[in-house]
Amino acid sequence: MYSKEISKLLSEKGIGVGDLIKVEYDNVSIEGELMPKTETGSPDTIIVKLKSGYNIGISFENVRLTKIASSGGEVKFPAAKLTQNGNLPKVSLLFTGGTIGSKVDYKTGGVHPLIKPEELFYDVPELSKIARIEVKNPFSIFSEDMSHKEWAMLAEEVAKELDNGARGVVIAMGTDTMHYASAALSFMLENLNSPVVITGAQRSSDRGSSDAFMNLTCAVQIAAKSDIAEVGICMHSSSSDDNCHFLRGTKARKMHSTRRDAFRPINCTPIAKISHDGSIEYTSQYKKIGNGKIKVRKGYEDKVALIKIYPGSDPKVIDLYLNQGYKGIIIEGTGLGHAPLSPANAGNSWEGHIEKAVKGGVIIGMTSQTIYGRVNPNVYSTARKIAALGVIYCEDMMPETALVKLGWLLGNHDKETAEKLLNKNLVGEISQRNELNEFLV
Amino acid sequence: MRDEEYYKSIGFMCGLELHQRLAVAKKLFCNCPTNIIPEAKERELSIERQQRAIAGELGTVDISSGFEAQKGRSFIYKIAEGRSCLVEIDEEPPHSINEEALLTSLSFAKALNMKIVDEIQPMRKGVVDGSDPSAFQRTSMIAFDGYTEVNGKRVELPSIFLEEESCRLDSASGRKVVYSVDMLGVPLVEIDTWPYIRSPKEAKEVAMKIGTMMRISGKVQRGIGSIRQDVNVSIKGGSRVEIKGMQELESMDLFIDNEITRQQELLKIRDELVKRNAKVGNHVKLTQIFNGTKAKIVLNGISKGGEVYGFRLSGFNGLLGREILPNRRLGTEISEYAKSAGIGGIIHSDENLEGYGFSDAEIDKIKNELGADKEDSFIMMVGEKEIIATAIEFAMLRAKYAISGVPPETRGAVNDGTCSTRFLRPLPGGSRMYPETDVKPIQVREDMILSASDSAPDLAKEEKALMLLLNDSGLVKRMISSPKLGVFKKLSEKSKDPVFIANMLLQKFVELRRAGFEVELISLQRMDELFHAYDNGELTKQAVEEVLKRLSEKDQSVSGIIKKEGLGRIKGAELKELVEKYKSKEKSKAELIKEIMSKHRLNIDGAELNGMVSL
Repeated sequence: MYSKEISKLLSEKGIGVGDLIKVEYDNVSIEGELMPKTETGSPDTIIVKLKSGYNIGISFENVRLTKIASSGGEVKFPAAKLTQNGNLPKVSLLFTGGTIGSKVDYKTGGVHPLIKPEELFYDVPELSKIARIEVKNPFSIFSEDMSHKEWAMLAEEVAKELDNGARGVVIAMGTDTMHYASAALSFMLENLNSPVVITGAQRSSDRGSSDAFMNLTCAVQIAAKSDIAEVGICMHSSSSDDNCHFLRGTKARKMHSTRRDAFRPINCTPIAKISHDGSIEYTSQYKKIGNGKIKVRKGYEDKVALIKIYPGSDPKVIDLYLNQGYKGIIIEGTGLGHAPLSPANAGNSWEGHIEKAVKGGVIIGMTSQTIYGRVNPNVYSTARKIAALGVIYCEDMMPETALVKLGWLLGNHDKETAEKLLNKNLVGEISQRNELNEFLV
Repeated sequence: MRDEEYYKSIGFMCGLELHQRLAVAKKLFCNCPTNIIPEAKERELSIERQQRAIAGELGTVDISSGFEAQKGRSFIYKIAEGRSCLVEIDEEPPHSINEEALLTSLSFAKALNMKIVDEIQPMRKGVVDGSDPSAFQRTSMIAFDGYTEVNGKRVELPSIFLEEESCRLDSASGRKVVYSVDMLGVPLVEIDTWPYIRSPKEAKEVAMKIGTMMRISGKVQRGIGSIRQDVNVSIKGGSRVEIKGMQELESMDLFIDNEITRQQELLKIRDELVKRNAKVGNHVKLTQIFNGTKAKIVLNGISKGGEVYGFRLSGFNGLLGREILPNRRLGTEISEYAKSAGIGGIIHSDENLEGYGFSDAEIDKIKNELGADKEDSFIMMVGEKEIIATAIEFAMLRAKYAISGVPPETRGAVNDGTCSTRFLRPLPGGSRMYPETDVKPIQVREDMILSASDSAPDLAKEEKALMLLLNDSGLVKRMISSPKLGVFKKLSEKSKDPVFIANMLLQKFVELRRAGFEVELISLQRMDELFHAYDNGELTKQAVEEVLKRLSEKDQSVSGIIKKEGLGRIKGAELKELVEKYKSKEKSKAELIKEIMSKHRLNIDGAELNGMVSL
């Protein structure tokens, strides 16, 4: 935002953003369009877009401003032809925001949500050759702002689309918490009998190099053609634009803050590899499309928490959650599922605190902060003791998946059932066995 | 004779874009090194990417972007260990701008009398030829409204930019283009002139002057590719054409003159075509004609599953083969458009078709299919199904331009001594620039401006200082534009004979390098030892050269070389003794000097010996 002083002057002179103005000071005279102020610049600097396309910032002090012409108005994108081939399978595309669901305003650099399907087809026209696409925009938020409420909305939306004849559903969302959402939908969509594909982008779609285009086309390929009846994540398999992976929704994780191949399978291999030319190669076991009707089970207990153990970690954090009425806690333990039980500082032993919480009715699940591998309560005495306190060891389930699962179990079942099911495989979140090729894939 | 009046009369417009890589420690938006030696091989990884044209700020795909994207190419990026990180390959957002590079560019802005902006706004400039994995280049205007003077005339400089160097093209074949990522992100300064340069000669002089100014800062990289001078040229009735890739500044004026001639000749062809009411016909598939053909080029293409297409050029007869520059015809220009789609070339009717092996019957069939008669020409091409549609479209586009005049283009210099150019791509439009939202705008602080003023390279001052040392304007001129300037300044600080040092650096080094001695490897410290020894009278001028040879072979102490090779100077009493030894009544003075010098050439200073013998 411009400073009060500048804003006042602009309004006095009837100058608005986008207007052609003249900026004069000393013996300098500059003509250009007035640009809006981004949140990062100095509020006392006027931003002018020169004819060359460059923006420059001129300090407001001692400048004279003159309006030359009014803004040409908002730039309209030419509507790309939305040719829908009736012979192709119908795929519903739900845009929920995030990098993939945004469009950069090329003048101001501002980011706006993409809502008109024609804008999407302008950049990825090949989508209409794969499927009949119906675009919906249930909401537009950053993925870090998502909660179980949005997951539930999405579950409802997916079921509605599938009931209305969509062969598959693609959900485009922000990537930060995509693996929580994919886990949640995996549990919420019971009897799923169609592909539900979540995709996103690590690079914004304003640039010709964005990963959004291939991610979208591969996601639509899976939704339109595959016989996979699971929720999964479809993103780049490597830094190249050659293939995407389709990863099981409960066993995928964002493992890099910026790379386009950030999503990796954890304790498993990808379900399928989709080439940029559209071919699908199935690379591991999956649930196939069969019979059955989808049922949404969207209950969720949000009094669940995820705690990380670290050297010197303070166990009183458990008491805080207990006092706040929490029903479930997932611990990201060290190694095989450990927490300090006999540290030099006896006050930092987790034993009594865990015991108190379990007795207080909190379900506590144990996962590992190593991300890869399985927890095991039998190898060291520490874990044996922790398990004896009533902590449930969650096999090779990812901490994030365990959190979402516990919230979902508590939201739909009584405590005993939730306890019983936490470390039992429901939708592929727990593998019975792990093979050599499932690490750092 | 083309003089300034002549250029004015043809509506000559000419502007420069000078690009100079900076010799700063790190890249512009990451911490990768900038001192990259492409020849030194490192372990490499590679990735393959696709890029597509994106609707620009006006909601339209820029013509040059579309042109590149239409080619449907994939880009392979070679990533050498230690030279690039995730930022260059578009896998990580940029870090903050490199302040050393920023200060250097600000000091150039000051040297060119420019006005520095108060807040720098980094921008993204679309690039769709693949030379940047992110499909845009980061560029910022840091100052504007400056000038420089050449031959007493003022040349206005509208702007200076600080931007990222692009990737190095490694190879291109068909639809695969291979780039090396290593240079990407090296800070680059771009300085532009307005298009009011008065003559090709003035263009060259402006480029030289600004280039020299940047070099004396000691903050710029040297060597091939480290400075690039792009020229924009047009004449009345013609179009703006940008020439890139001139390797030698020396021949810039010749490139410009040739471009003028090319545009003039194309306009003559245009006039002729308009008179003839020329038209470009639709493309027609011709593959079926060539069943059992003897023309190898077609036979090969079809046997690989290719197709033959052609189109008629009504009223073009004889013009495709007309020379517009030595060895360059309208046909060449059309062919280059088709080739840019990945096809091998075109065949046109102004060529000797029998030479290709086409039978008369085939030629008749082609003409028949295309509906071409005597006044007409035709073009055909053979190629893979996926490529040929684009290639024929590009060729037709260029043929249509022939009727309307000169296409606005970016052209590449052909550095084979002919000073001609070839088509690279259509001239990019102006709708590809938008803010780089991953980098904060940069406030230009007071201390940055002060530091820029202090370190601004001052050509006049530098020349004056050199004149004091060298007292020879020719030598000063050569030294100031020499890569050795920095070394010279350091070596001459304490020297009694800066002229000798200057001559050694400018002449002897070149001679020795040509003779195969790697004198560039000699460290500053060794050179300092060497010229110190010379100043102290321990070495003759001739011996200095010998020491340089030894130093270029192996780094060792200068005193050690003198001792080992017996290169110490014989002077004063010792020399006198030597003279006495050789003296005899039969020898003339000249004979005596000749004899002594022939035996002790490296150890004796000729002037001293002369003086002594003459006494």
